[in-house]
Amino acid sequence: MIAPYLALLIAFGVVPIIVAAVTSMEPSALNPGGGPLNYLQALQDFRFLPALGNVGVFLLLYVPTMLIVVAGMSLLLDTVRGRWNVSLRLAYIVPASLTGASAVLVWYFLLEPTLSPYQDILRALGITQGGQIWRSENLAWIFALMAFFTGAGNWIVVQYGSLQSISEDILEAARIDGANAWQIGWHIKLPLIQKYIVYMGILVFAAGLQVFVEPQLISSSVYPGLAANWSLNQLSYSFAFQSNNLGGAAALSLMLLIVCIVGAVFVIFRTDFFEGSGVKEK
Amino acid sequence: MKRLVIGIVAVAAMTLSLAACSGTTNTASGGKPTVTLWVDTPRVPQAKAYQKLMAGKQNIKIEVISQADAQTKIALHNRTKSGWPDVIFGSAPDTAQFLDPSNGFAADLTKLVSKKIFDGFGAANSDCKFDGKYYCLKNDLANTVLWYNTKVFKELNLTVPKTMDEFAATALKLRGTGYSAGAIGDQNYYASFLQPSGCPLAAMPKKNTVRIAPSDPKCTRVAELVQPLLDAGVVDKRSNFDAGFIKDVAQKDKVAMTFGPSWFGDFVIKPAASWGVPAGEIAAANMPAWGSKPDNMSGAWGGGVFTVSAHAKFPQAAADAAVWMTTSDAMATADTTPTFPAYGPANKLWEKRISADPYYASNPYPAMAAGANNISQVDRPVRFAFNAQIGSALQVDINSGKSLEAALNSFADSLQKLAPSSGYTVISK
Repeated sequence: MIAPYLALLIAFGVVPIIVAAVTSMEPSALNPGGGPLNYLQALQDFRFLPALGNVGVFLLLYVPTMLIVVAGMSLLLDTVRGRWNVSLRLAYIVPASLTGASAVLVWYFLLEPTLSPYQDILRALGITQGGQIWRSENLAWIFALMAFFTGAGNWIVVQYGSLQSISEDILEAARIDGANAWQIGWHIKLPLIQKYIVYMGILVFAAGLQVFVEPQLISSSVYPGLAANWSLNQLSYSFAFQSNNLGGAAALSLMLLIVCIVGAVFVIFRTDFFEGSGVKEK
Repeated sequence: MKRLVIGIVAVAAMTLSLAACSGTTNTASGGKPTVTLWVDTPRVPQAKAYQKLMAGKQNIKIEVISQADAQTKIALHNRTKSGWPDVIFGSAPDTAQFLDPSNGFAADLTKLVSKKIFDGFGAANSDCKFDGKYYCLKNDLANTVLWYNTKVFKELNLTVPKTMDEFAATALKLRGTGYSAGAIGDQNYYASFLQPSGCPLAAMPKKNTVRIAPSDPKCTRVAELVQPLLDAGVVDKRSNFDAGFIKDVAQKDKVAMTFGPSWFGDFVIKPAASWGVPAGEIAAANMPAWGSKPDNMSGAWGGGVFTVSAHAKFPQAAADAAVWMTTSDAMATADTTPTFPAYGPANKLWEKRISADPYYASNPYPAMAAGANNISQVDRPVRFAFNAQIGSALQVDINSGKSLEAALNSFADSLQKLAPSSGYTVISK
């Protein structure tokens, strides 16, 4: 039963990790002897702390927004019945089809005051120049915005799916007890899909920690270098392909993996993630 | 278990026989070398012309890559130890990386290419010379010139500046007129100001030692001259490609003069979708001099090179391909590669073409040619990401309104921190 998954896990999970661990000991110009010094040097690179700060702010903006908005929107979607529901679900997914390069382009046009269809709004906010938008201190917000709109729709539909798993009997009982739609959503539905929200939190955090495409593409277009080495993954990429330092790149990637795993384990053990049906017995 | 072993042996035997087959094919075509070219899109017509020329004699394979990916792709093939191209188009810093022993991709061309060819390049191939040997061939030169609008100059009764002090004085005359002396918030500040001034930011006093000295007088004089222009609003802190600058200034034909590389005329100033400056207004003049000769250099913004693989099966055929790509007439006349050819004889053909272009108010070629033979050699192509740092440090700071001195210092600081990771010793004074 588990064999197909195990085969994939080994091929695309375990083996790459082992290869990365071996690679992370390779020598570089900075560390001709190779070995664990690569890990320390990756952390000591002058771009590491700024990148860590950038990704930290990005995660603080992105992860809670995703969790709150997705949970709220899927609960709202769950209250809409009939034909509208299908159209709405489709509408939520549409922005998610704009990913990577195309999303960056679309957001560039939306936010560039000279080209934006929302020029008037931007002008009302006092923004008339691209330089007022595309500056280092705004980048975390911009990337969080891009990531949110490309990711939220999918997750709303997924969480809507998890809401469908709630037994109609429970909801019926709540209604008979006099709970209104808000109370049912807050006290019944949300606790029942808690583990799916946790699951989403883990994945969204892991994806956010590895943010790469948005800053990399912005840096290779109109504002070359604006977000160069902005994220930790970009820094790892620069180690590998600009400094010929695959050891450092692998070391940094493995440290990111450890953060992801520790984060996931922490969240899993702090919640009832692996427990039964998800209905808590009091 | 036994069946498994038999299976493995069978697969191994089959793989070996397949390899032997392909080996035989190679031997059969031994008289007909295969040369794989990796080029960016603008270079494809050139490569196809070569493929056609060599049909029947050599098997020329073309793969299209983005120039920005050159280092990444070669690094990956260095890992797999196979699949390298025989010739790759990239930049001189790519070659600096490729010839490092830790990379080992670039072949020494000094003996593979004839002296006649090197002579034809003259000083134009200097970017490809490392420690006395040639490791690439320069495709085009992108030296800076002074682009100016003859209509505006006439209207305001300005004369074309010949020195940087005259440039500053002329720029200050634009104050209050609504005209601009160009935008510096991109690579232009480096290529058109710092580099011609001889500011040492990637100077190489000896092998694997790089001098990055923003406090050198040749660096500080640049900010001293340009900062007042920026403060007066006659020089723009935005990029030449900034949508706001293009709409507010360039497309309104408000750029009275600007420094820019030789490709600026055809690719930035002329196209309707870009600045769209009307025909008959734009001319090019020599870069104004910082001081008397040799303190009168130009800078460079771009300029590609062809590097040949040290792993090439047919080194001479590969080198010949690189030679053809950089020196043939096709190089000078193909529609999609109309930048200033580095190779002298090809350049002559190109000169005919641009000199006859009715778009320009006067022939821009003499200024381009004067600067082409006079590009500052203080900074050399280096292995670390010099140009990327221009974007992420220098440009970002200028765009956000920081002083030019502060912008240069943070740029230089980032270079000083970056250089050791590529094996350089840094001198910061």
